[in-house]
Amino acid sequence: MRLTMQVKLGVVAAGLGLLLGALPAVAHHSFAAEYDEKKPVKVTGIVRKVEWTNPHSRMYVDVKDDNGTVTVWNFEFGSPNHLFRAGWSRNTVKEGDQITVEGWAAKDGTHLAQTRQVILADGRKVPGFAGGGDSGGAPNQ
Amino acid sequence: MRTRFACLMIVASALGVSVWAQEPAAAGASAPAGRGPAAPAGPTPRLADGKPDLNGLLNGGPSSQDISLNLMAGEQIVLTPAADKLMKGRRPKDDPEANCLPAGVPRMAPYPWRIVQQATHVFILFEANIHSYRQIFMDGRPHTPEANRWPSWYGDSVGTWDGDTLVVDTVGFNDRFWFDAKGHPHTDQLHTIERYTRKDRGTLVVETTIIDPGAYNKPFKIGYTARYAPKDDLMEYICAENNQDVTHITTSTP
Repeated sequence: MRLTMQVKLGVVAAGLGLLLGALPAVAHHSFAAEYDEKKPVKVTGIVRKVEWTNPHSRMYVDVKDDNGTVTVWNFEFGSPNHLFRAGWSRNTVKEGDQITVEGWAAKDGTHLAQTRQVILADGRKVPGFAGGGDSGGAPNQ
Repeated sequence: MRTRFACLMIVASALGVSVWAQEPAAAGASAPAGRGPAAPAGPTPRLADGKPDLNGLLNGGPSSQDISLNLMAGEQIVLTPAADKLMKGRRPKDDPEANCLPAGVPRMAPYPWRIVQQATHVFILFEANIHSYRQIFMDGRPHTPEANRWPSWYGDSVGTWDGDTLVVDTVGFNDRFWFDAKGHPHTDQLHTIERYTRKDRGTLVVETTIIDPGAYNKPFKIGYTARYAPKDDLMEYICAENNQDVTHITTSTP
């Protein structure tokens, strides 16, 4: 599976999102109501569990600190519908994989975050919220 | 450039797909063949009876975050004082859509939907929120008498043709759904008139008049354009299976 071009575009898309301050506007709840754009998260760990579920896919990642203490992070992704339409498959990230995840932590202080992108063990980067934004159809003016 | 980037992102978002998804398969992308945002070109297809053929899978709808973004030119949302107070008191965690309840009318989640057009009925199948449908009677019947229906999420819909435009008249709504995440409210007096026009093979233009003297001092019109995506299909979306969000939503504003 070659994702090189996809990765480049993904990075560009993520970069644009940051440039515009366009944090993911999640389909069924607003980003700002749950997550804090001022609390970026970047962790590396082992995927404990993947949930291909709606309204969001989730990956639970075991993150070990310097003392060996493991914290389980709950990363929210776009729905499987959005991710699969954007090119994800069940093989993109599997349980047991080591991944680095970048996102924004929940405002309530739990180990929950919305995913911006995943950096796979081989360095490929894939967005966590492909197409998960508000529909915002243009008005007919 | 910022504007162009913004347009790109908005268009991609409106189509329910990411820029990432648009990489052509020739470059080795793993996107499933045939899925993508490209709307087909050509004239409006027609059925044997000459009516426009509205059948197909669509992407696009009014903003689920703020319906005022879809106001048509010259239109205004003027809330009654009571509705204004109700809206200001609403909290994101209580949004029925965030709680996996139906979006109602005219709200739509940013997921594909499908029109199934028959001589006697038109069905609108929603992939998401919720995985449900609207039923529009096309057999000329009047609205179901009030005594024989109860306030409902999608209301009681009858359809007629005005030339090439499908006109859907709906009453009988409950007052529970919100028009958007900002909490624009309505009452059970809500009456919607939707006009669906397939301008060409790839484009469906929808204009909706919102009439609700219980919540708005005057009717207003919103509009949006949806695109046909004939190579995509609906996917399952059961919102309630793993909805963890509402327990983590802490803010008072969306």
